[in-house]
Amino acid sequence: MTTTGHIDPRGPRFGAAITSVLSLIAFALSLEEARLAYITVVVLGILFAWSIISPGTHPYSLVFKKFVRPSLKPPKELEDPRPPRFAQQVGLSFALLGIVGGLFSPVLVSVAAAFIFLASFLNAYFGLCLGCQMYLVVRRLGIIR
Amino acid sequence: MTTGLTLALLAVSLLAGVTYKLFHGRGHRVLGAEVVDLAKLKVHKNGDPVNEFGSKATLVLFSTKYCGQCPAARRALAKLAHRHGSLLFIEADITERLDLAAHFNITQTPTIFVLNHRGEIRYRVGGTPKTNTIETELAKLGAL
Repeated sequence: MTTTGHIDPRGPRFGAAITSVLSLIAFALSLEEARLAYITVVVLGILFAWSIISPGTHPYSLVFKKFVRPSLKPPKELEDPRPPRFAQQVGLSFALLGIVGGLFSPVLVSVAAAFIFLASFLNAYFGLCLGCQMYLVVRRLGIIR
Repeated sequence: MTTGLTLALLAVSLLAGVTYKLFHGRGHRVLGAEVVDLAKLKVHKNGDPVNEFGSKATLVLFSTKYCGQCPAARRALAKLAHRHGSLLFIEADITERLDLAAHFNITQTPTIFVLNHRGEIRYRVGGTPKTNTIETELAKLGAL
């Protein structure tokens, strides 16, 4: 199957695994080294924004293609890129909460890091898909139009 | 304190993951026998509007554009329907049909309804169904 624009579904999960490590570090740092934690959340925000704007050039994607994918079997099926993109948008909105909110209250950096960790951890290790679990709830609450 | 809170976060996340694995895709019987209104559902199959139920049973898959697990569910259900002539498989994309989501109280996708020959909702599954749950329900309706 070579549907254009479709992606190897393991790519986003690989990215989520890295995100989960980064966000756990950010969370631990936020309790002691507020500055470093803030920087980590900014980095996470940049990575989320990057994967929304140009997923093909994203560092996770390059590492996955160069080092991870060659040692995996070919994917059983390719997937629509919209669900992982939705997940990245959710990640970005939490990162923005930390970046903007962190200027006023350091607690928000911890909160943002904790949410990003929870979401990326569940995605990477349990296969939970944010677009499946959150989209309708968020829409029905009227948060996004 | 840092270690304690970080471990607590890990523990909560693990618990959430295990709970998700346990309960995700479990179906349950639906009482009340509401008949699905095909005119309201407005689904198409091969370009034609669907206005009849399957002769023994109908599977309805509710999906959205942002649902990563829906394509796999779609393939599995389509395969079932392909093998069994008395079974109709239809899919309703509810990305923009929040009225349907509200009416059927759908909070996650994929959500799958098993309807009997009269179009009454007999069984529903939230999430990717666990192995054989759908088949078991279809067998009860004589569609397999």
